[in-house]
Amino acid sequence: MNVSPAQLAQAQLTETRRQFFGRGRHGLGAVALGSLLLPGLLQRPAAASGQPDDRAGGLPGLPHFAPRAKRVIYLLQCGAPSQVDLLDYKPSLDKLHATELPASVRGNQRLTGMTAGQGSFPLTKSPWKFVPYGQSGMMLSELLPHIGKVADELCLIKSMHTEAINHDPAITFFQTGNQQPGRPSIGSWLSYGLGSEAENLPGFVVLLNHNTYDQAQPIYDRLWGAGFLPSNHQGVKFRSQGDPVLYLQDPAGTERPQQREFLDRLGQLNAARAAEVGDPEILARIAQYEMAYRMQMSVPELTDLSDEPASTFELYGEEARTPGTNAANCLLARRLAERGVRFIQIFNRDWDHHSNVKSNVPMLCKQTDQGSGALIQDLKQRGMLDDTLVIWGGEFGRTVYSQGGGEGFGRDHHPRCFSIWMAGGGVKAGFTFGSTDDFCYNIVDDPVHVHDFHATILHLLGIDHERLTYRFQGRDYRLTDVKGNVVDEVRGELLVASGEWREASC
Amino acid sequence: MSHIARFALGFFCGLVGCGAPLVADEPRLKFNRDIRPILADRCFQCHGPDSQTREAGLRLDQSSAATAELDSGERAIVPGQLEQSELVRRIRSNDPDLQMPPPDSGKQLTDRDRGLLERWIAEGAEYERHWAFVPPQRPEPPRVEDSGWPSNPIDQFVLARIEAAGLKPSPLAIREKLIRRVAFDLTGLPPTPQELQDFLGDESPQAVSRMIDHYLGSSAYGEHLARTWLDLARYADSNGYQYDTERQQWVWRDWVIAAYNQNMPFDQFTIEQLAGDLLPEATPQQRLATGFNRNHGVTIEGGVIDEEYRTEYVIDRVVTTGSTWLGLTLLCARCHDHKFDPLSQREFYQFMAFFNQVPERGLNGFEPQERIPSPLAAELLQKYDRQIEQLREELKATSRESQAEFAAWLERLRSQPAAEWQVLRPGQLHSTGGSTLTLLADDSVLAGGANPQHDVYEITAVTESIGLTAVRLEALTDPSLPGGGPGRHANSNFVLSEFELTAVSVRDPQLTREVKFVRAEADYNQNNYEVIKAIDGTVAGNSGWAVDGPTRKEPAIALFVAAEPFGFDGGTELRFRLRHEASFATHGVGRPRLSVTAHPAGEVSLGGPPPAIVALLNRPQQELTASELADLERYYLEVQSTRGQAILAEIARLEQERANAFPPTMIMRELDQPRQTFVLNRGQYDSPTEPVTAGVPQVFPPLPADQKPNRLALARWLVSPNHPLTARVAVNRIWQRLFGVGLVKTSEDFGLQGELPSHPELLDWLATEYIRSGWDTKAMYRLILNSATYRQSSEVGREAYLRDPDNRLLARGPRFRLEAEEVRDAALAVSDLLVRQVGGPSVYPYQPPGLWTELNNRPGYSLEYPEGKGEQLYRRSVYSFWKRTVPLPMLKILDAPDREVCTLQRSRTNTPLQALLLWNAPQFVEAARHLAQRMVAEAQATGTDPAARGFELVTGRVATAGELNVIRDHFTAERERFSHDEAAARELLDVGDSVPDANLPLADYAAWTSVARLLLNLDEFVTKE
Repeated sequence: MNVSPAQLAQAQLTETRRQFFGRGRHGLGAVALGSLLLPGLLQRPAAASGQPDDRAGGLPGLPHFAPRAKRVIYLLQCGAPSQVDLLDYKPSLDKLHATELPASVRGNQRLTGMTAGQGSFPLTKSPWKFVPYGQSGMMLSELLPHIGKVADELCLIKSMHTEAINHDPAITFFQTGNQQPGRPSIGSWLSYGLGSEAENLPGFVVLLNHNTYDQAQPIYDRLWGAGFLPSNHQGVKFRSQGDPVLYLQDPAGTERPQQREFLDRLGQLNAARAAEVGDPEILARIAQYEMAYRMQMSVPELTDLSDEPASTFELYGEEARTPGTNAANCLLARRLAERGVRFIQIFNRDWDHHSNVKSNVPMLCKQTDQGSGALIQDLKQRGMLDDTLVIWGGEFGRTVYSQGGGEGFGRDHHPRCFSIWMAGGGVKAGFTFGSTDDFCYNIVDDPVHVHDFHATILHLLGIDHERLTYRFQGRDYRLTDVKGNVVDEVRGELLVASGEWREASC
Repeated sequence: MSHIARFALGFFCGLVGCGAPLVADEPRLKFNRDIRPILADRCFQCHGPDSQTREAGLRLDQSSAATAELDSGERAIVPGQLEQSELVRRIRSNDPDLQMPPPDSGKQLTDRDRGLLERWIAEGAEYERHWAFVPPQRPEPPRVEDSGWPSNPIDQFVLARIEAAGLKPSPLAIREKLIRRVAFDLTGLPPTPQELQDFLGDESPQAVSRMIDHYLGSSAYGEHLARTWLDLARYADSNGYQYDTERQQWVWRDWVIAAYNQNMPFDQFTIEQLAGDLLPEATPQQRLATGFNRNHGVTIEGGVIDEEYRTEYVIDRVVTTGSTWLGLTLLCARCHDHKFDPLSQREFYQFMAFFNQVPERGLNGFEPQERIPSPLAAELLQKYDRQIEQLREELKATSRESQAEFAAWLERLRSQPAAEWQVLRPGQLHSTGGSTLTLLADDSVLAGGANPQHDVYEITAVTESIGLTAVRLEALTDPSLPGGGPGRHANSNFVLSEFELTAVSVRDPQLTREVKFVRAEADYNQNNYEVIKAIDGTVAGNSGWAVDGPTRKEPAIALFVAAEPFGFDGGTELRFRLRHEASFATHGVGRPRLSVTAHPAGEVSLGGPPPAIVALLNRPQQELTASELADLERYYLEVQSTRGQAILAEIARLEQERANAFPPTMIMRELDQPRQTFVLNRGQYDSPTEPVTAGVPQVFPPLPADQKPNRLALARWLVSPNHPLTARVAVNRIWQRLFGVGLVKTSEDFGLQGELPSHPELLDWLATEYIRSGWDTKAMYRLILNSATYRQSSEVGREAYLRDPDNRLLARGPRFRLEAEEVRDAALAVSDLLVRQVGGPSVYPYQPPGLWTELNNRPGYSLEYPEGKGEQLYRRSVYSFWKRTVPLPMLKILDAPDREVCTLQRSRTNTPLQALLLWNAPQFVEAARHLAQRMVAEAQATGTDPAARGFELVTGRVATAGELNVIRDHFTAERERFSHDEAAARELLDVGDSVPDANLPLADYAAWTSVARLLLNLDEFVTKE
């Protein structure tokens, strides 16, 4: 070699950046090559940061139209919270309480193996009061004072329904649009379609709330998996114990300057090899190591809450100082959103109350209410709620009739109707959509299927759900399978005036 | 158009030099190459094989239909007549009502597409059958200009293509890189220094083929090839779905390793895995092979419907078999006729009928299972057999010596009464939960009707006996109980939380006594649900007696011994309470029967002579036959003779140990009475419509008429020499593994939507060669690896990579990142940590704490990751415990699939998470320390430089001076740092389970470890070149 490795490495790095990142997204050739060689996740270089029109990966032509939301924070309530007790106000149950669910209402409803043998299905009203919140007077449980505070931001959908009645298929359905394992999750579809705008972080981050209860839902990596999409689109779990990102921490307590030296020498050796061999993949690897190096800074900085003022902890509660609590993860979600992460999903999973509704529901509300409400307020204060879609909901609902009975009664799984709420991101605020019957058993108006829910989320992000496809085994797959309708009624005002957005052509 | 298709087409055009409209003097268009891709992608959605969605009665995938008169009176295609062809008018039209494809369909034709369609119609609109559905014919290898280059026919096909593109092949790879390439391709491991030295020193012309044969003969070959097969077989060590509990299927994994190492022909490999159980005189190993189709997930989630999940398992087999052998996406036809391929929904269910005959369940569907030894454990089995044989010899001698004692024992036993049990006739029956309790003729009580969450059976019975010492509870089975077991739950289990008894005097009902039980015994106890928990006075924490109902469908017996004798003079009413109050709802005892005894409390036991022995004892001795006497003698030895007892116990222990050395493996079995298969409307398990019988899709050759249409016939059909797909799909996968991309890039789809082969004739030549060789897999590897194509260098400069990024022209050697397991195994190999034990139970390498329990901490269904110790940490990755819901991060981060479903192609990504893994994961940091030790030791022994030695070990080649300078700089800087910071040095050296070498100077040791880390992070280390 005539040039020194250091010089060569520098030259190669510059070339990498020029080749893969230098051009904007309208240079189709560069993007196409880039997405072949450096797909999706995490390759935006420091040099390209701050440019508004820049993102790593993603498909040309996306978004298909002006997005209302740029990112999503999805507070997934695994185990299925009770709409009867929290969100779907049913004064009619005061009268019906303790009477038998009429067979005509139940119809041919499939029951789980847990109550199929039960001889009686006594209607059981919520033990708690519903109270009006905000200007809109939205009726929510008294157990949700903090979420109530932001009622005027909420778009409450009371007419969700799903096809699955057991946890695994139902949550798999919500996450991937299919009940059986094997398909990509929502977040990985978004990473694949829209790429990442996060500078030094993954575009799809998963946060797990600590389990506090021994009947908590087990969950699984595939819920944020990439299915048949390239595996770099899968969600990255940020953990509340050990390294937030696996293997982030250097074992030898290396200081940054030494780490930099290590990386420079590695880069020199790799660049020398790249010059010899010619394979651009080597340059991509150099770039990935640079990104890893930046993540070693950006992730601890992200999770270090010492820069948060006291007011933050007044808003989220002191619990937000304890990693792994819902409050802490909601705060972390806001910090991730600030840094451009596209899809942030919090898994809270203690809602499966087959018994002891009376003690368990208040416990869970106490754990989740303040953080969730605070997140909305916080985003609002920061002007981020407009383009951040927040979603709160579980994989199905719970039965209005009691399981077991007596003081320790529980509620079984109920797929026929349940409630979720969304906020921000271009949905109507202080708005309720859909309704259920007096028994809180069947939907009366405006049913929203899981596929519709997915179509709507994609729509809010500027994606036509029928056109975000991936060909696998000869078929063009989509998140919404072959179904799904956008629920137009929940859309609020456009984020970007339509004239400013030209549909990209390809 | 989807992304992939766009790139594929662009590439295709680039190669044949088209891009612009085709020039006039080109040869005639080919339907398969030029036309079908357009029709399939743009038209078949509405005008293809699916009759349900067909528009205007027009079908464009068949010549007869496309040229027929339509209802409208038009003909879509009139061969040779452009103006009369309605299709032409429609594709030219701008009128939205006429235009095809319709503007709102999201599908559009380019000018080039239109040009091709018109030219094809003008040329006569000749259809061809889809290439992959026509059996391969062995082509003549083409002539090439550079006739000196080819080593075998493969090279002629490849070179002809390279020459047509106006290019030349690349030079030979240097030997250091070639052996490394071969070693990884055949064993998944880097060459050892000895292997490298042997090969570099071999001057003979046969050096390369000798080196290839060396690796083909290595046991690591079978491990490596088996590992790639496990992705197809969706093999895992856990059950998937919500709880993802542990399963033991590794004996099947060992079968695959053994099969590859024996070079089992691929046809036999296929037949045994799909239908080994149906072979005449099937051996246990052949039955074991069928574990292939039991590797799907199995749910244990309480609320599911059995048939729903049973159906999913059967469909999983259809999909996996279809993908693995046919390279087809049968699943598309689950809900409707296939949109693109000639597969009807009915044919899907006919195919499903082959796999629908297993005696299995949806919930807890682990049966059928069989304990079969691992084929890799022959030595272990022989050891047991020898020991047992020896003990039997000893036993014979013992029994002869003790005849007198035996006679005396027999006499004593005859004069001693056994415990007599008085079966109680229940009076009142009451269920607090609302079950219906019915008294049966044999005095048992059958529970039926509503099945409440919790239930207490209150059963009374009157007895005249006094001095009662114990109660016996028989939990009997009954046809009315779910699954034929003893419990009421859908899974046949029960949980008896507490067993309680109050004795009430008949004469004076004021006189009552709570009977306290102090001892309990059962003939079967479920782990953690021992019978003692039914008399421990608590129901908390699910404390109670259970009997593994899901897997053991048999009656169970318990006895409860009272603290003091009970029973009142003048009669006693016994009030029993069978409390079922665990949080497992609806887990009642199905059919209890109660008995009491007055036998001395200390001697009451469920043991005692079994009924057969009691019967013998009750007969006069002179009537007994020799074999009956031998039975008695054997029983005597078991219970009485100390020496005999000891030997028998030892034999039993060894037999048990021998049997338990291998867990039961889930295997295939056929129902005695075939199960009727139906077409399922929209694929729903509960919407059966038309009944169907087993059969193969019409597009393929038929099943042999003289064979019963079952799995065995299907398997033989798949590997029949005239099958169009099996051999092509198999050799394509081999090619994909070696070159990074298959000759058919879409190795998972050989159907109409799949990509055309880059070298169709080579593919067919290889397929026919595979069949001709008797499906000899090692011969196929030998053939390809000995080709000039394979031996090309991949150090060919930037231009070549940019020209042909995926190397579809094969004008250079393969170069791509190693797969996850290879990266980890290579780190263990170069650091000399690798433990080369072949086969056995899966092991638990390093994993950050908490990963399992943060996802699932439900008591009884979750555990902390049981990280291994010592050698277990350094086994090959194929033996790593594979938990579907939480795959080992070391592998997952490097694109290993989760094995939820059959995976035909892994992603190959390049991410910062991979960088962090190689930097910081304890496995790699520890390997770096051992590599450092090895570098230093070997350099010392040979008087060279550790830096140079390390570089060689990691990359297989000699470092350049420039590279060595960088490495030495790093050493110098790091030694300087560590000499001032001993704590940091120790921190680095303490990573991992193994103990650091105390003899090495600390700063040097740490600095060389840092150098080794640098080396293990080289792109060249993780890349096959």
